[in-house]
Amino acid sequence: MEGDKRFRELIDRSFVEEISEGERKLIHDHIRDCDGCKRYLELTARTIRGLREFTFTSGPDSNAQIREILTHHTETMRQHNLQFKVWAAFAAALSMSIVGSALVYQVAKLLTVPMHFDTAQVQAGVLVFWLLPSFCSALRLLAAPGENRGIA
Amino acid sequence: MELLADLVERCQHRLVRYLLYLTGRREYAEDLAQETWIRVLQRSSQYNGRQRFDPWLFAIARNLTIDYLRKKRKAAQTVSLPDDHDAVLLLPSSGPSPFEAAARSQDAMRLACRLQILAPLYREALLLRFQEDMSLPEIAQVLGAPVTTVSSRIYRGLATLRSAFEEGDSHGG
Repeated sequence: MEGDKRFRELIDRSFVEEISEGERKLIHDHIRDCDGCKRYLELTARTIRGLREFTFTSGPDSNAQIREILTHHTETMRQHNLQFKVWAAFAAALSMSIVGSALVYQVAKLLTVPMHFDTAQVQAGVLVFWLLPSFCSALRLLAAPGENRGIA
Repeated sequence: MELLADLVERCQHRLVRYLLYLTGRREYAEDLAQETWIRVLQRSSQYNGRQRFDPWLFAIARNLTIDYLRKKRKAAQTVSLPDDHDAVLLLPSSGPSPFEAAARSQDAMRLACRLQILAPLYREALLLRFQEDMSLPEIAQVLGAPVTTVSSRIYRGLATLRSAFEEGDSHGG
């Protein structure tokens, strides 16, 4: 009985995993003399065959419907992605414009004495010739229509 | 998008079949299949092209199903489940059997009744091994379980289904 149990485990393994040729031959030799294990092997084979005889049909429009959903989803994802890129580019341009203006202001302050400018003039110059143009460039990223922003 | 459409064409039928084995309900399977494809689209960058696509797809479907069933059970507040992924799949589903509808032979019809009451954990292991012809390591990847657990689920599932024939034949069937 214990021997049969071992053979039945081997029979199960032969269907589920790879077994060696030697083990296969062992089963073959054993079932020639053991009706119980032979029946066990037949029933296992029948069970697995039965499992393969299920045919599930999906709805006729199922694939088309999923493709449609995916197309819609792809478009939505592309829009979100684009929006994210635009705002990221704007944030980068804005920070560069602020940092750049601060640096330019520091350099311009050094020129105040040799060029005979006062502080208000330097501030106005940096504002008009640096900060505003760079800020407008950053804003252009948000204002450009569709994907024509040079960042997509 | 072309590639994904091809994959839908090739795998949708099998995906629905897997989800049917997992949930035991046609309506859940169809809805979850749609959700799975959307998740595939969102996570396409995470796919390692050197591995087979099917286990990755089924693993996504499985995780979605577990989340879905967990939410459904929480909403219904029928039972409190342990905080274990697989436990959500343990309860047999009720309602009309999609397996009987799909049975194409006398033997399959006999198995259908057993399949409906068999725990989904065993059902899915049997499906992946004998219908999807996946190897044990591939099934382990889908299930997120060790190979030994996978094989033990297959053996137990097989034993339960085999008993359908043993009992049937001993009753003169």
